[in-house]
Amino acid sequence: MGLFDNKQFEPNVVTTTVEWLFNWARKSSPWPMTFGLACCAIEMMAAGASRFDLDRLGAGVFRPSPRQSDVMIVAGTVTEKMAPRIKTLYEQMPDPKWVIAMGACAISGGPFYYDAYHVVKGVDLLVPVDVYVPGCPPTPEALIFGILTLQDQIMRGERAKPGGRPTLPEPLAAV
Amino acid sequence: MGSYFSDLFGGSVSILRAMKVTLGHLFTRAITVQYPDEQRTQPLRALNRHVLRIDETTGQLKCTACEACARICPTRCIELTGTGKGKNRHPSAFQIDHNLCMYCNLCVEVCPFDAITMWTRIGELGSPVRSDLVFDIKALTAERFYPSPMTPEKPAPVPAPEPEPEKVEAAAAAPSS
Repeated sequence: MGLFDNKQFEPNVVTTTVEWLFNWARKSSPWPMTFGLACCAIEMMAAGASRFDLDRLGAGVFRPSPRQSDVMIVAGTVTEKMAPRIKTLYEQMPDPKWVIAMGACAISGGPFYYDAYHVVKGVDLLVPVDVYVPGCPPTPEALIFGILTLQDQIMRGERAKPGGRPTLPEPLAAV
Repeated sequence: MGSYFSDLFGGSVSILRAMKVTLGHLFTRAITVQYPDEQRTQPLRALNRHVLRIDETTGQLKCTACEACARICPTRCIELTGTGKGKNRHPSAFQIDHNLCMYCNLCVEVCPFDAITMWTRIGELGSPVRSDLVFDIKALTAERFYPSPMTPEKPAPVPAPEPEPEKVEAAAAAPSS
């Protein structure tokens, strides 16, 4: 009553955006892809199992196809051999899509950052990353915290900038 | 023919026996940890984010900037510089890059002064920006609590002293800029 008695709302039109509704729907069901590369995937499975139960956040529906998934959790070491496949999988996902880099290897190469010829120095060289979850491997709590951070981001409508770092190392720019 | 019906009977009994186990689990307590609201009790020596320890007697960092941790780190994620000489030597800058850290605990084991610890409960570090995961000396000493076998639980926080009423009135009277 008080809202419509106010003279400021003389035409009695309530305006909002559909984007809020869309973002709320997207945030409530970020379905991840069944996609694990190394030992971080074990913790991802633990986060999806009954003790931590990602289904409480709507993110527990691990889809077997990139066509049905919203979030790609890059869990593990991204080798040079796997890099083109990851890029293909990301391009096969329908928009809107998000990427979580889980673990030190996916963020920056981790133990393979120096003195390794076979590891991509961070998955953000391949695909835009929304949330970085450090750890080796991160605990299920840390992954759930990352997903909560991603949900906040989705709700605010923020997207990752392509290329998570300012400059790319020379040998990897052509990947 | 007889073996057919006995197999059928045996199969039904085994299904019922399995369903009894399932039914027993149906009435047990749920093991789900409602994570953002409640925390799982971690093992005592769970490795989490680093914390630089403070000497309780002097109130200064225990670290003497000997760079043993920076040299042993397999991923070379620790960078530090020190100032001063002898017993007055302390780090002036200390950075741990958690984009690289592999949580191997070697920096803690090699430290001759127990100046750094990973037995903290600071495990949730997710961030949308990579530069937020590089912790400098201020962030590494901000949380001074660390559990140890002697003090596994966090001590009760000291209640903040109530501000004097005159100062509160003065603050309220001051124009907010």
